[in-house]
Amino acid sequence: MRDSLRGAREISDAELVEQACSGDDRAFSALVRKHHASAYRVALSITRRDDIAQDVVQDAFIKAFRALGGFRGDSSFRTWMMTVTANEARATLRKRGRWNESSIEVAGPLEASAPDPAEQAVAGQESSRARAMLDTLPEKQRLAISARIDEGLSFREIATLIGSSEGAARVNYFHGIRRLRELME
Amino acid sequence: MNEIDCAKVRDCLPGLASGRIENHQLVTIESHLLSCEDCQSELELIQMLRAAPPVVPFLLADQIESAVTSSRRPWNRSWWGLSAAAALVALAVGVGVSRDRPEVIQDVVFDFGVDPEQGELWLSEDSFLAGDLWIEGLSNETLMKLLAELEGEGAA
Ligand SMILES: [Zn+2]
Repeated sequence: MRDSLRGAREISDAELVEQACSGDDRAFSALVRKHHASAYRVALSITRRDDIAQDVVQDAFIKAFRALGGFRGDSSFRTWMMTVTANEARATLRKRGRWNESSIEVAGPLEASAPDPAEQAVAGQESSRARAMLDTLPEKQRLAISARIDEGLSFREIATLIGSSEGAARVNYFHGIRRLRELME
Repeated sequence: MNEIDCAKVRDCLPGLASGRIENHQLVTIESHLLSCEDCQSELELIQMLRAAPPVVPFLLADQIESAVTSSRRPWNRSWWGLSAAAALVALAVGVGVSRDRPEVIQDVVFDFGVDPEQGELWLSEDSFLAGDLWIEGLSNETLMKLLAELEGEGAA
């Protein structure tokens, strides 16, 4: 594995964070390599643009590195990093003036003017179509679904990520799944 | 163990799709799926989504590392970092700084060969030496000298 820098035993994130805090660049590099993919998927889920998502992830890691001393370890580093990235993504969208989602996104129907993802997806590729449909859901729903399905996060962790209660995280996930199933029919 | 409701099964479906379900739960869930079209359909959706994950750009990790490294170069440090560094120099060369009355620290300025007319340093409320404009005005060469001096002090 690329990440196993130092011998057979895999170093835990908590140890890597501690080492990175004391100036060990290799430890920070290991954290980047372990968690950049999750961070990117969060950024992409929120921004829905690859170029913006890449910028967001870079900025998020710069900020995370500066704030590493403040990381308390009461959540996993990955969840913390994903949350830093989510906040950075939202801030970036706000700066770009594209922040137009409602903060209450439990029952938001698709807008009539939304582009038809089915037409954009490759014909017959149901998986691509499902992903395209996922992108049409409100932010909290698609982020909850992506975090649960792609990253395997618990609802408690998803709650931190989307800035809600655990119950609201569940509602966002299950409502999003139901909506997606309707769209796929 | 025999009966399990849809809500519990649906909770487990992402774990099932990614192979993270314990064996003892697996049998119960799978037998439920055989008789429940609704849960089976949800599992298929989850499997579909998992089959087309977003592609992470190949060089992204390298780009992040470069970005973090650049952000840590001395000339990219924020002014307070340099001011705090300058405060250490002031202490190291024994310059008196009044908290109540802002005063120019000429000794420090002369130490680094900088024209004192360019700006001032003073101790701010948060105990940092302020004077970002003066710091900003320094050449890279002077900043490097200042930092080298500080690192020398820190290592001593
Ligand atoms: Zn069922």
